[in-house]
Amino acid sequence: MKTKIEKALEEATISTFEDICFMYPVPELKDIQKNLKLEAAAEVKYRGEFTGKLLIETRGGLFSAIAANILSNDSPGSRQKKDALGEIANIICGNIVPYLGLGGRGYKIESPKSLNKDELLKQKSQAKPLAKVTLNFNQGRVDVKFFVDDNSAAKEKKG
Amino acid sequence: MALNILVVDDSSVMRSIIIKTLKLTDLPLGDIWEAENGEEGLRLLQEKWIDLALVDIHMPVMDGEEMIRRLRKKDQYENLPVIVISSESDPCKIEMMLKQGATFIHKPFKPEILKEVIIDITGVNYEDKD
Repeated sequence: MKTKIEKALEEATISTFEDICFMYPVPELKDIQKNLKLEAAAEVKYRGEFTGKLLIETRGGLFSAIAANILSNDSPGSRQKKDALGEIANIICGNIVPYLGLGGRGYKIESPKSLNKDELLKQKSQAKPLAKVTLNFNQGRVDVKFFVDDNSAAKEKKG
Repeated sequence: MALNILVVDDSSVMRSIIIKTLKLTDLPLGDIWEAENGEEGLRLLQEKWIDLALVDIHMPVMDGEEMIRRLRKKDQYENLPVIVISSESDPCKIEMMLKQGATFIHKPFKPEILKEVIIDITGVNYEDKD
């Protein structure tokens, strides 16, 4: 059974992609999408009653497609692609922190940061996310992971 | 009457998203001005004729809260329609914006929501488009 945060993360990710990127996920993960190579990632840190971060990873051309759709530009530049992915992460994170308790009071969400390969490798060795969602698009897939620095401290309950 | 709109957000991507969404509302739009922070926004308000301001909260130099507080102190902007567009979830912050006479739209948002709010606070309508 999905937790409240897992449900919230899924809903926020879907609505952000639909409303902001005009991209609509397809339900089934095809084999080819499972093995796609990671192309880009960004993280957004938050501070408040709890601290942690939201990490977003794209595969299969989605990095470019997100910026292209947002900016109505078929060939977005590298900076634009990074900014677009970061903005998506920022919006999703803003929608999730209220589920950590106190209804989002006092949370500060930092500016998004694009991650390079070394930073990505470091991420891999880190703790398990509190919630994770994978969405599939015709072009590829996106994985969104929500971390709380100390998972045991989260007041989130199952159900 | 076509609306002259000021979009204040430190993210150029977010400004593009807002402008794209504004165009999808099919409302009569005039000039759209962009500012990276509250200070720039206030300067553009003095220089241009602006009917509506769409403002982010978290920005460097001057945030949206401070910008709205300052503009409300000036007689000519006392009733300027202001929409705060943010992913902010802190009810205290949102309440503070509402007290300053701003309307709040939470990100992500659909064109229909933006359109509804703009019609509601500016009174603009479709006949104004032609």
